[in-house]
Amino acid sequence: MTDPPLMMGHRCGGCSRVAFPPDPYGCEKCGAPASEFEELELEASGSVQAVATVHRHHHPKPTTPFTVGVIKLTGGPVVKAIVEGNKVVVGDTVKGVLVDGEDDNGNPVVDLHFRVAT
Amino acid sequence: MSSQGLLSDRPVFVVGTGLHPYQRRSETTYVELGLTAVRAALVDAAVSWPNVDAAYTGTALLGMGSSRIMLSRLGATGIAMTQVENASASGSSAVAQACLEVASGRSDVVLALGVDKPRGGLGAAPGQAGIQNLEGGSVVPFTHFALLASEYMDLHGVNDDQVARVALKNHRNGSLNPFAQRQKVRTLEEILSEPISGSLTRLQCCPVGEGAAAVIIASEDGISRLNLDRSRAIRVVSSVTRTEALYGEGIGIDAALTADTGLAAFEEAAVDPSDIDVLEVHDAFAIEELLYAEALGLCQPGEAAALIESGNFDIGGSCAFSPSGGLLAMGHPIGPTGVGQIVEVVRQLRGEAGPRQQPDARTGMAHMVGIGAVCVVHILRHG
Ligand SMILES: [Zn+2]
Repeated sequence: MTDPPLMMGHRCGGCSRVAFPPDPYGCEKCGAPASEFEELELEASGSVQAVATVHRHHHPKPTTPFTVGVIKLTGGPVVKAIVEGNKVVVGDTVKGVLVDGEDDNGNPVVDLHFRVAT
Repeated sequence: MSSQGLLSDRPVFVVGTGLHPYQRRSETTYVELGLTAVRAALVDAAVSWPNVDAAYTGTALLGMGSSRIMLSRLGATGIAMTQVENASASGSSAVAQACLEVASGRSDVVLALGVDKPRGGLGAAPGQAGIQNLEGGSVVPFTHFALLASEYMDLHGVNDDQVARVALKNHRNGSLNPFAQRQKVRTLEEILSEPISGSLTRLQCCPVGEGAAAVIIASEDGISRLNLDRSRAIRVVSSVTRTEALYGEGIGIDAALTADTGLAAFEEAAVDPSDIDVLEVHDAFAIEELLYAEALGLCQPGEAAALIESGNFDIGGSCAFSPSGGLLAMGHPIGPTGVGQIVEVVRQLRGEAGPRQQPDARTGMAHMVGIGAVCVVHILRHG
């Protein structure tokens, strides 16, 4: 297990655009089909661009309150993900962490969350 | 793309408007909601149903085949009826289609209707595309906009109170609108209570209820032939639809898409942002009004919060923003919303908006964005 974890994204063979998440269809920039994508490992680390703590949620999971961040990954793409702890602020450096959780039906899942890097 | 000169070659007018109040989900059927708005629009236009050549129904939640069972109760005249779905912009797209049909010369009088009743969830298609992202179900629309609020407030040094003032204004406007779902004046303290996500509170998020809105669109030939009141006809001078392009990595998609669409609409209408007297925007969440005021060029980036605070965007200010109460107070029943914006703009430009009247309103704009992401902008002008 690497630290921080690696996220599987892709680089487009047509235009070199790096994107996450994996996409089975094609490139939004140049229109190349997904068969021209090459897999690319992206480090789960980056900086927080925006943050919101959610107080009301219509599903049992995640339980409120939880915090969501917009994270600019070191490798380029921007993702939204749960950031653990409520002390995160815009500009913080965060790192990915794998956490055991449950989906709405109680089935075990492994989620990638982020945590403020120390 | 814009309608590329079609609207200047063959002018198109809104000649009638009608609403069913926006309200919480009730036992009223969608047929009753829709017919109420259409009958009101026909009366307002002084057009009889057999003179309507075609109908477009903006609806996202009703399911297939909603138009005929409703509109045939005005008389089954056999006209073309088409449902239009474009997420939150469904009603705006119904108006766009009606304008295009009249501008093309195919029809002289066309109905654009929006009607919906909320069901559990919105059933949005992007969730079925099989693309797994990290956030899963944790980022619903209000959190998407709470994140935009976080980014905006950090970038421009704006605080929670300043964003909440958008809702303060729109609830006040809504209190003057008998068709609004929320008709109460609120205090800043009330607006800042009940947090939902990030800085957004319950009263800074739009209610999704039920309702209907209708407009009758006509050509000059139609107006002459049916001897309609030309002085109350409001011209549609641009109708532009765009979808999201790649704007670079970031989260400001809704604002970038709005800037794109707005620019094309101003060009088609040959007007400047400073010419806009009344503006109905997609203020589903309070932060959006600030983002779109700047994206549409009504002020410089970072200026909108101060302009809200100084009353610039009040009724009676330099541009009345969301005089109907907007999505925040009038409500967002999905299908009707975009048509309801046109209804408000037309009433404002006719000088028939009663206590919500923006003085000397000549030019108005309606703007919706929807999941997808799509954006539809119309500009209307009196005279
Ligand atoms: Zn590409």
